Amino acid sequence: MNWRRIRQISQIFFFFFFLVLFLQATFPYRVIIPADYFLKWSPLVSLITLLSSRYLILAMIPALIILLLTLIFGRFFCGWVCPLGAVIDFSDNRIKRKKSKKLTSTKWRWVKFGILVFLIVAALFGKQFAWFFDPLALFNRTLTLVLYPVFAALGDGLFSISYTFNLFPDTVYSIQGFFQSFLLPVNQIHLHQSLFVAILFLSILSLGKISRRFWCRNLCPLGALLGLFSRFRIVDRKLNSENCLECNICRRDCRMNAISANYQDFSKVECINSMECTSSCLENSYSYTFAWRKDPQKVDFRRRQFLQSITAGFAGAALIKTDFINRKKAEVGIRPPGSVPEDQYLDRCIRCQECVRICSTTGNLLQPAWFEHGLEGLWSPVGDTRHGYCEFTCNLCGEICPTDAIHFLPLEEKQKTIIGTAYFDRSRCIPWYSGDNCMVCEEHCPTPEKAIVFREDLFTKPDGSKVITKFPYVVEDLCIGCGICETKCPVSGEAAIYVTREREERYLE
Amino acid sequence: MFVNNYNRRKFLKNFTAASAGLSLNPASVFSGENNSPLVVMVKNGSIPEMIERALEPLGGMSAFIKKGQVVVVKPNMSWASRPEQGANTNPEVVAAVVKMAYQAGAGQVRVFDRTCNEKRRCYRMSGIENAAKKAGAKVYYVNDRNFKKIKIAGAKRLKSWEIYKDVLEADVLINVPTLKHHGLTRLTIGVKNLMGFMGGDRGKIHRHIDEKIIDFATIVKPNLTIIDATRVLLRNGPQGGSIRDVKKMDTIIASENMISADALAAGLMGVDSRRLGYLVEAEKRGMGIIDVTKMNILKIELK
Repeated sequence: MNWRRIRQISQIFFFFFFLVLFLQATFPYRVIIPADYFLKWSPLVSLITLLSSRYLILAMIPALIILLLTLIFGRFFCGWVCPLGAVIDFSDNRIKRKKSKKLTSTKWRWVKFGILVFLIVAALFGKQFAWFFDPLALFNRTLTLVLYPVFAALGDGLFSISYTFNLFPDTVYSIQGFFQSFLLPVNQIHLHQSLFVAILFLSILSLGKISRRFWCRNLCPLGALLGLFSRFRIVDRKLNSENCLECNICRRDCRMNAISANYQDFSKVECINSMECTSSCLENSYSYTFAWRKDPQKVDFRRRQFLQSITAGFAGAALIKTDFINRKKAEVGIRPPGSVPEDQYLDRCIRCQECVRICSTTGNLLQPAWFEHGLEGLWSPVGDTRHGYCEFTCNLCGEICPTDAIHFLPLEEKQKTIIGTAYFDRSRCIPWYSGDNCMVCEEHCPTPEKAIVFREDLFTKPDGSKVITKFPYVVEDLCIGCGICETKCPVSGEAAIYVTREREERYLE
Repeated sequence: MFVNNYNRRKFLKNFTAASAGLSLNPASVFSGENNSPLVVMVKNGSIPEMIERALEPLGGMSAFIKKGQVVVVKPNMSWASRPEQGANTNPEVVAAVVKMAYQAGAGQVRVFDRTCNEKRRCYRMSGIENAAKKAGAKVYYVNDRNFKKIKIAGAKRLKSWEIYKDVLEADVLINVPTLKHHGLTRLTIGVKNLMGFMGGDRGKIHRHIDEKIIDFATIVKPNLTIIDATRVLLRNGPQGGSIRDVKKMDTIIASENMISADALAAGLMGVDSRRLGYLVEAEKRGMGIIDVTKMNILKIELK
């Protein structure tokens, strides 16, 4: 077995490990390894979150270990572990590209350092944007919002053939039930933003048309960070130059274009230990030793580019920070129970959508936001109380948040945590406008002492006749803002009862 | 066992005595003025025994189930709530009914409900999924695709609605509701339990609910109704939440006639059946007698 194959097995292993943890983030939540475990492996997220929110997440020790291992092995994470890297490799191998004239093009390499500097500067400025670029968050987001719902819809379509033609419905029931117990959702998931995220993801894959691992070579700030640490790596790759035929195969096969024209040297920053050179060398002239030597190549990041990135960091952070926040929309979107105060929430959250994922399998409250919280609120998990509600007996979002943007609350505490308040729109509420009884909101209100109560009173109909009607009221002190009243309200379109962030309690550290 | 002619006052007095914890005669039959179906009420026994004794006068479970038939047992498992909170049918009742159905020769017993909270939470927390599965039933979630919109002939309000196909295809339907308070209809018992077979936006049912659920009940007719009044949610229904609102009553009511069974159960909660809109509506349409003084009632007190 050659080294390339071993690396591929590692990639497949970590890809499926990531996938299994993703699938595990569902109700019922059976913890074997915490579902957010892998998401804590990104040193980029830890660093930027640390800088922006001045909050050290102890759980991010795995990220530190990755960083230490990078000092030994170099950017092995990119080549051996990163699930996005694995997908990119998989897709790159299937993309036909023209024989590149610019084999040695390194023109865009600086961009990833630029992005890294931008992120660090913005973080010092108090804004965390690592969420947009971090490959683990990005991949988890794509899985949650795009790949998994699409997969579920296709799976459902497959089963529906049997129901439509009434072929063995009983057997298919149980087969479907079996798959729903671990792979498929019990309900089709509908999430905001899926098209936009899909386009971004497909763009990253289609950059493979220009060169292999285009994202990793030129754009990924995690790659840039690991690359800088990788300069100090002590596992060195040596070429036995006596054997070398100068056939150029290693340079052609290198996924990162890291090998110099003299074959002897390679860029310590760019090498991801893909083992392509080692495996494809006709003379087996590559070997590995523990040795430290200075990186013969310079980091492709000129002073001018560095200064430009710093400027962009300041300007960009300011620009994003000053974006308009639509209070009319932002303040009706409740945040999950246990979330930290809004500013910190936006800085801490890496938009991995893990909470959205687990919520979609139970109460279905959380959705990724669009621009209603300004540019910086993009994809931050927010409640859409017309679509779903916060399940009274659930506290899973806090349990799986990798960055503690949502803190874990014990169920008893969560059931008392106020995330918003409900209001009646009396001009549309059935008893209030027609005098007919309705009680759907009251019936669903989950608090042991109901936050929605009735008061019987006379209602005067348009013709002057009077009837006794049960008028519903919200008892403000009892309402926790879970939103089930709004979700279940039978009125068409906008509900006759709606939840806003009024009275919300955030988790104070 | 002795036969007695009771008038309404005596009857109510008896109920008051019962709720005050005083013992009733070990068994008594209220003979109605007509040949309305028998309603049996059994108190103070173990759950399987109460159900067994309740079905005896009705001919036993085998009077309802022929060998090999597909039986749907419909509990109330609307809420993500524990058994002791009284919002769902007692899982032991469901399990006992499932077992008896198999003993009577059922080919398959199916248990499902369209829930209000997330379905897996309801199935699990209610304890019904586990208990019914142990008893051998096939417990499954409703599949949105399996609803069929049907016309309801002679309906007053609900001209058509989606109904779960498995109900239409079942040979026998056993309704196993729980008795509890309900904010809109005062009480929810057997008739309202049928809403678990409804598809679509059930919130729309709540306007003119009395007529609509009776419209629905004209097409879904349980062969047998067994009311679980072992733990009764007295307030804040139908969901409840607080154990303080739950009263232990250890009672099972069974009848072929769901309407009369509901009417009798209402008395346990101290509610006059004639003040329940949907029962009045059902009686108007000749679906059952709701006046407890005119019903054939058999009361059995165990212990």
